[in-house]
Amino acid sequence: MNTDPLEALLREALRQEVSSLAGSLGGLEERIAEELADRAPRRGWIDGLKQLAAPTRAARLGQVAVVAATAAAFLIVGAIVGKDLPLVGSRPKAESREAMLRATAENELLFVLPALHAEDVSVVGSFNDWEPTPLSDEDGDGIWTARVTVPPGRYEYAFVIDGRWWGQDPLADEYVRSFGEYSSVRYVGGGGDGV
Amino acid sequence: MQDEVTLLRASLQGETAAWGEIVTRYKDAVFGLCLGFLRNRADAEDITHDAFIRAYVNLRRYRLDKRFSTWVFTIAANLCRNRLRYRRTHPVFEVETDSGGGTDPAREVAREERHVHVREALERLPYAYRAPLVLRFYNDLAYREIGDILGIPEGTVKTRIHRGKAMLKEHLGEERDPS
Repeated sequence: MNTDPLEALLREALRQEVSSLAGSLGGLEERIAEELADRAPRRGWIDGLKQLAAPTRAARLGQVAVVAATAAAFLIVGAIVGKDLPLVGSRPKAESREAMLRATAENELLFVLPALHAEDVSVVGSFNDWEPTPLSDEDGDGIWTARVTVPPGRYEYAFVIDGRWWGQDPLADEYVRSFGEYSSVRYVGGGGDGV
Repeated sequence: MQDEVTLLRASLQGETAAWGEIVTRYKDAVFGLCLGFLRNRADAEDITHDAFIRAYVNLRRYRLDKRFSTWVFTIAANLCRNRLRYRRTHPVFEVETDSGGGTDPAREVAREERHVHVREALERLPYAYRAPLVLRFYNDLAYREIGDILGIPEGTVKTRIHRGKAMLKEHLGEERDPS
C-alpha cells in the first residue's frame, strides 16, 4: 500500500519511538481509575452540603435567587465606585470598544489594553502562531495598543504583560480556559475558524 | 473480549474497570499522537492521562454512532494544542530521544540514526504541518478523519501533508549535506 520511502521511514520512526517509551505508560489505567475514584466522593460531599444547606429544590432555587440579587447589587456598586479606577485589564473606554468593533469589521484586530505600570506588553495568539507581537504605548499613558490585519475567522489570544500571561481581554467576544489559564477569543468578519 | 460499545456503555454506568479496558486499547495511539504533536515525553504522558480523564468525565457527550477513536483523538489534539500554546510562554528544554541502546549491530544503529533524524526533522516543522503527518503516518487515519480532529477541511489536510513531506525532505537533506 505504501511505496513512499519517506512515509515508511516516518511511520517506522514514530512507532519505534512510542514502543521504546511505552513503558512509561505502565499503570496508566490504575492511575486514571484512582483519580476518577477520588473525584466521585468529592461530588458526593458537595451534594451532601447542598442538601444540608437547602434540602428541597424550591429552597435551593430560593438560595440561588438571593445569591443572584446579592451579586447584582455588588456589580452595581462596583460599577459606580470603580468606574475610574486604573486597573490592569479593566474595561477600556467606550471609544476603544467602538474602534475595536470598527477594526473587527475591517478584518483587523485592534488590541487595546490598559496596563499602567507595565514595561513590556505583547499579544500571542492563533493569528501569529503564538509568537509575541508587541503592543506599544508611545504617549506613556498606560494604554497599550497594537493592530494586526487578519483574514476573517475566529482567533484565540492572550496578552503577555512583563512575562505574565493575561488571558482575559475585556474586549474579547468570549473566553476559553485550559490548564487553569484563560485565553480570549475574537471573531473577525463574521466568524470562521482562524485557529 | 468485550466489544467497544459494551465497554463504553459500562463506563457510562460508572464502571471504571470498563474504562480501564478502553484506556488499555487506546493508550498507545493517544500517547503516540501526543508525542508526535508535542515532541516532549513528559508533556505527552501528562496529556495522555488528561485526555482519558477528560474523555471519561465528558463521556455522556460522546455519540455512540460515531467512531470513538476520532472523539478521543480530538480531545487529545485539543489538549496538545493548549499545551503547545502554554509552552510558548513557559518553555522547557526538549526531552531526550531514546537512542535504543548501544549494543546493536551496525545496521541496526544506522537504522536508528535514520529514525532519530526523521524525528528531529519532524520536530522542526510547524505544528500545522506536523500534526496531520502524525495522524496520517502514526495513527493511520483517513484525510477526512484528520480534518475532523484538527478542525480543518479535508483539502487542507492533503495540502499540509504534501507540503509537510516536502519540508521533511528538505530538513533531512540539510542534515545529510550541511553547508
